Amino acid sequence: MAFVQHTIKLPVWRRRLLLVLVMAGLGALVGRAIYLQSLNKAFYQKQGDARYTRSLTLYAHRGTITDRSGEPLAMSTPVESIWANPVDATTTPAQLEKLARLLNLRQDEIAKKLENHNREFVYLKRRISPELANQVMGLRIPGVYMQREYRRYYPAGEVTAHLVGFTGLDEKGQEGLELKYQDWLSGKAGSRHVIKDRQGHIVEDLEAVKMPQDGHKLVLAIDRKIQYLAYRELAKAVEMHKAAAGAAVVLDAKTGEILAMVNLPTYNPNNPNNIGGKSRNRAITDTYEPGSTMKPMTIAFGLESGKYASETQLNTAPGTYKIGPATIHDHENYGVLSVAQIIQKSSNVGASKIALSLEPQYMWGILNQLGFGTKTGVEFPGEVSGRLRNYKDWRPIEQATMSYGNGISVTLLQIARAYTTFANDGELLQVTLIKSKDMPVGQQVFSAATAKSVRAMLELVVQPGGTAMKAQVMGYRVAGKTGTAHKPGVGGYQDKYIASFVGMAPASNPKYIVAVMIDEPSAGQYYGGAVAAPVFSAVMGATLRMMGIPQDAPNNNIILPSPNAVEVKEAA
Amino acid sequence: MMPMLANRNKVTGSTYDQGLLWVTLILLAFGLVMVYSASIASAEVKSATNHQSTYFLIRQLIFIVVGLVAGVVAFQIPTSVWQKMAPLLFMVGLFMLLLVLVPGIGHKVLGSRRWIKLVFFQIQPSEFMKFLAAVYVADYTTRKAALMDSFRHGFMPMLAVMLLVGGLLLNEPDFGAFAVIASISIAILWLGGINYRIFVGLLIMLVIGFIVLIWTSPYRLQRIVGYMDPWADPFGKGYQLTHALIAFGRGEWLGVGLGGSVEKLMYLPEAHTDFLLAVIAEELGFVGVMIVIGLFAWFVLRCFSIAKEAISNERFFSALLAQGIAVWIAVQGSINMGVNMGLLPTKGLTLPFLSFGGSGILANCIAVAVLLRIDWENRRLSKGVPV
Repeated sequence: MAFVQHTIKLPVWRRRLLLVLVMAGLGALVGRAIYLQSLNKAFYQKQGDARYTRSLTLYAHRGTITDRSGEPLAMSTPVESIWANPVDATTTPAQLEKLARLLNLRQDEIAKKLENHNREFVYLKRRISPELANQVMGLRIPGVYMQREYRRYYPAGEVTAHLVGFTGLDEKGQEGLELKYQDWLSGKAGSRHVIKDRQGHIVEDLEAVKMPQDGHKLVLAIDRKIQYLAYRELAKAVEMHKAAAGAAVVLDAKTGEILAMVNLPTYNPNNPNNIGGKSRNRAITDTYEPGSTMKPMTIAFGLESGKYASETQLNTAPGTYKIGPATIHDHENYGVLSVAQIIQKSSNVGASKIALSLEPQYMWGILNQLGFGTKTGVEFPGEVSGRLRNYKDWRPIEQATMSYGNGISVTLLQIARAYTTFANDGELLQVTLIKSKDMPVGQQVFSAATAKSVRAMLELVVQPGGTAMKAQVMGYRVAGKTGTAHKPGVGGYQDKYIASFVGMAPASNPKYIVAVMIDEPSAGQYYGGAVAAPVFSAVMGATLRMMGIPQDAPNNNIILPSPNAVEVKEAA
Repeated sequence: MMPMLANRNKVTGSTYDQGLLWVTLILLAFGLVMVYSASIASAEVKSATNHQSTYFLIRQLIFIVVGLVAGVVAFQIPTSVWQKMAPLLFMVGLFMLLLVLVPGIGHKVLGSRRWIKLVFFQIQPSEFMKFLAAVYVADYTTRKAALMDSFRHGFMPMLAVMLLVGGLLLNEPDFGAFAVIASISIAILWLGGINYRIFVGLLIMLVIGFIVLIWTSPYRLQRIVGYMDPWADPFGKGYQLTHALIAFGRGEWLGVGLGGSVEKLMYLPEAHTDFLLAVIAEELGFVGVMIVIGLFAWFVLRCFSIAKEAISNERFFSALLAQGIAVWIAVQGSINMGVNMGLLPTKGLTLPFLSFGGSGILANCIAVAVLLRIDWENRRLSKGVPV
């Protein structure tokens, strides 16, 4: 032991002090561990939860909207959204290039998103097909993930756009029935409380998974085939007459169900960008002055009052009628007309005379019963009530103009509904967009006799001497009425028109009511009989044949106007 | 070179400290399990590990095997040889620390130049330097025992050496290793009877020195600020520490269960090295932390016990070396645990025996072998058998 030096002294107290210090250090750590793991653990656990526990929404499957026979009009299909966590995302130039090509994005666009390290979630591309998404995931780029979403798809596109509406990115109804039935369709989202690792993978569930409740199916009264048909014919007419807009409604005359409701201009609900006013379902949300399509109502009031019968003669000469300072005009001087002929010729003077012979309160009462001035109660957002002023404020000129549809504003749906009284022996039916299970209970507004009588007069309208020979349908008797209304504008009526036609068939026992309205036809013709009646004829004829409704007239029932015959024009 | 080999067969009874061997083996095995648990998820994700979940497990296992083999070899070396070789070994250590700083040889990771890259692996000289410093200072103190009251002859030479070592380590930079080596040296000088006035003066100087270092280097200052209030910037400077603290809080008394840590899922950086204790705390709770602290306490007690025996045999170099190793393991372990618990600024020190790392494990195993050798020699001397 040559190295041991005997002069050395290792004081015992120094050893002990050192050992105490070392042990004290370890003891301090024990104390700190108790503080961290027991006393103050709640704070750390809360911080941890904020970092890696997540509440996930389990999206409920949104209900399908179908037509009356189950054909889908709106359906949710699974799509994938590609997102990235820029903090974790690393791409090789080759990967970036492939990614950009697959997603159809520019490389620098993606690179810019991935450089933003302040965020842990950026969408690279939303709503792509699952096949494409799988290809993207096949690139195995760290920090790039996909997320299941649903995309709303509208098979009938622009044909049902106004009615069905559309949903936003989050599948929330924005317009139309998608909006109105949001709660019914959306169901209830479920949730999952999970722990995620830094890459976003779920590690474990912290509590029982709340399963989502899928939304309900919505079955509409709409018949897709009739809807397509109405759309096609309306579009044709709007284009031919260079009109600003148009709308058409097809009602089941026995149930009040809305079998078709189309509007122009339209848009593609699968890509609802820059739609502006195109999304308005103007058959429900816009009012107009109905013009002469109101006259059958006026006549019915007269018949109901007992003061008039179908054959009652009225003198409309000289084709003008002065009420106070104002003068009402007919298109020409028709002389003495029967009540039926007033309808056929669409005489404003005749209708005014009948109206003025009735009490304002009585007339208002029935108009009110017919639903004018109040909402139809159809299940649609943004419905308007139209305007029917209180009878107490009516001046005689107003009562007179109202008899032929001026000074009153209505929706196309209101007019179509009012006509259910003529189709249904005086019973007014509730209209509905939803397929009904039960036969509706109507409200008796007119007597059956009055209704039948008016219907018979309306048949004259499409016959020679009437205003709408173009409304005739081969093999079926048709009853209907034209309307040609000046559009009111700033400072009085403008030189713009709304041409309309409302009718029903088969007239012997009406099955369908079709109402057509064309706004601002500007290709020369603007009379309801010339612009709207052909649309009616095409839609009604095709519907009757398609639905196999028994004919009530021979196939050669259509009477072509003789080339020399003077066209009967109604007063506007 | 190895005179004891001739006498080996004559020795009977228990010839080594079983407790020390057990505590070492338990620490190594426990560390292996926890390194695997802490690294399994991150190894699977990283392309650097070739997405192999057992990447770190396999390597740590190899390190332990190499460490045990090295330990068996080191056990054959008499303490007298270590003492004789002490200055030379220390010079070799200094040379390696110098090599680390040479561009092309030194390998830089995360801003620190701490590794020398060899063909298949890399070594971290500072880990071995801790052991060599203990050997050297124990020898120095023994040689200069008579001069321990002299500032000029007893203290100044050691101060010069430490400044040299400090200069090299702080250039890497490896502040943690220097703190450990300084602690070992001071502790051995203290035990060796250095004049307490010199000692107090040294302590004051050290404190001033540390403060100056910290305030002049923004990198160290940043760590200090991050540790004092990690919640002020939990997603920046305080990120690692806040996640370590969350791991402790989540562990509670019994832990979330082995393998159940969420922090190791890429939230807590360096989970299998510097922040292994946080994963232990989360998975095994306070109980797991107590086991680790308890094992270190046991280790230190064994060292002091062996040292006491050596003193009674008047083997002062062995006694100082055993206690130096005890201080090394205790200080490094305490600093690492203190860092994990937010008591100390982040240092880049591993948990001895437990954390992943080849050089650390190897140096720890050699140190234990030397301790066992000291004890083995103690036992032979007490039986009157020459070593």
